[in-house]
Amino acid sequence: MRRADIKDEPATYERLVYKNTSVYHYMRISLVLENENTRLSAAQLKQLIVSGLRDLYGEVGSAFPFDLLKFDARALTGVLRVYNSGLVKLWSALTLLGSYQNERCSFRVTQVSPFLLTLSGNSRELELELD
Amino acid sequence: MYPELAKCPRSLLVCEKSNFEHEKSRHDTHVSKHYFNHKVSVVIPECGALSSRLATVINNFSKYFLVKNLPVYEFLDKDFLKNVVWNGALYALSYKTSIDQDNTIALLPSSQLILSVDKDTYEQLGLEGKPSQYNHRQPMRYVVTIDLTDKSMDPEGKRYQRVLSCLKERVPLKSDFLLGRHNSGANGDRALQSLLSRYQWKEHRPVVSSHTLKDLPCPSLHALDLRGDQRSCDPHSFLEWLGAVSAGVSCDNTAASFLSTYICPEPQTLVSQALHCTVSGLLLPEDIYSLLQELRRYFDEPKFTSWLSLTVHGFMDSPVSWGDAEHGFHKGGENFYNLVLFKNQDYWLHMGTGSHDRCPP
Repeated sequence: MRRADIKDEPATYERLVYKNTSVYHYMRISLVLENENTRLSAAQLKQLIVSGLRDLYGEVGSAFPFDLLKFDARALTGVLRVYNSGLVKLWSALTLLGSYQNERCSFRVTQVSPFLLTLSGNSRELELELD
Repeated sequence: MYPELAKCPRSLLVCEKSNFEHEKSRHDTHVSKHYFNHKVSVVIPECGALSSRLATVINNFSKYFLVKNLPVYEFLDKDFLKNVVWNGALYALSYKTSIDQDNTIALLPSSQLILSVDKDTYEQLGLEGKPSQYNHRQPMRYVVTIDLTDKSMDPEGKRYQRVLSCLKERVPLKSDFLLGRHNSGANGDRALQSLLSRYQWKEHRPVVSSHTLKDLPCPSLHALDLRGDQRSCDPHSFLEWLGAVSAGVSCDNTAASFLSTYICPEPQTLVSQALHCTVSGLLLPEDIYSLLQELRRYFDEPKFTSWLSLTVHGFMDSPVSWGDAEHGFHKGGENFYNLVLFKNQDYWLHMGTGSHDRCPP
């Protein structure tokens, strides 16, 4: 049976332009550790970033939410989602983070975008061989 | 805290709703004018495997070439101009050149040669161009556009000789190139082979990968509700969900989760399986258009799903996005479009760009 409110009429043309309406930014990050054998879980990684934010901006300045959408524990890469207003703070905290449990480390930000979709279509990762 | 810290570069998302059978529908122009495509991804809910017809279309995507250290003046070779460039359908883009730091070169199928070069190269080159639209305070990048079909570019003419000598003697610009060609005329093939034979090159085929996702929460979409007021989710949430599916992000969270609070947007349904298929390489608009035509035929037979989606990512470092609109790279060089196809040939088109791009057409 067909619902009365669903019609099969063709859609009329409509165009919408959204400027700066994405509320989030997405970042693809990777963690480089001095000792390659060190392992950490997703929760430990998020805790590391939270503590880095707190060290740089203090308790109040770092009180904004962000998500660790995905984490690959073997490659130490992840995807973060943060409100636009927190992007600069999060990025700067990642840049200045230098140690994990007394071991030197650094974060590389490989891609930043207001669209999560573009994080899976990075043409700079296209590797072609000649031989 | 400083308010500047909360600012972000501008982003644009253009959404259109129409029907493929409308006379004035511009879906074909949007597809054919987005010249340099790097990845295509198809998501079909309630589908377990690619149908043989779809697989045939995808496996027939044109092959392309990687050519090492190709000097730009080779594109101006008389034989090559006559048999390949002027016939149209040649796509060339410099490979592994970042548009925010290197000289980037593209040859469009409309026979326009675009050189996006830094200030030093521009000054040595001696060809007329314009400062890039996305310079900061001082122009540090210039864009030179040469229309190879223009009368003044006749191989006997003065301007042709001048351009040739600038590219051959003043600044012998060279780069690795990706070359793709759609029409294969015998003369064109011969001219292309003769160019390739002088350099190191390799033929590549687009790489296809597909996998099935099980028990996936999927947003419900209704063709007439593009804004997402009632019966669909809003465009940003939908694209975020597509991004989550493509990147393998889990939607299985709660509002109180420590790691992530991401959930599939409402209204949603749980689908038992969904197909996610990607193709990457230098993908030609003509091939993407035939894929789109085949996807439109998907609903010829009754299906459980009411929609499917096709996403096309452009090269981040291409000097153009749609047509000859200048493209740049700020924090990201995103330029992509997404088509949602509905049962009754209605479609939604989403086009997204970052800060260094004109508004999509």
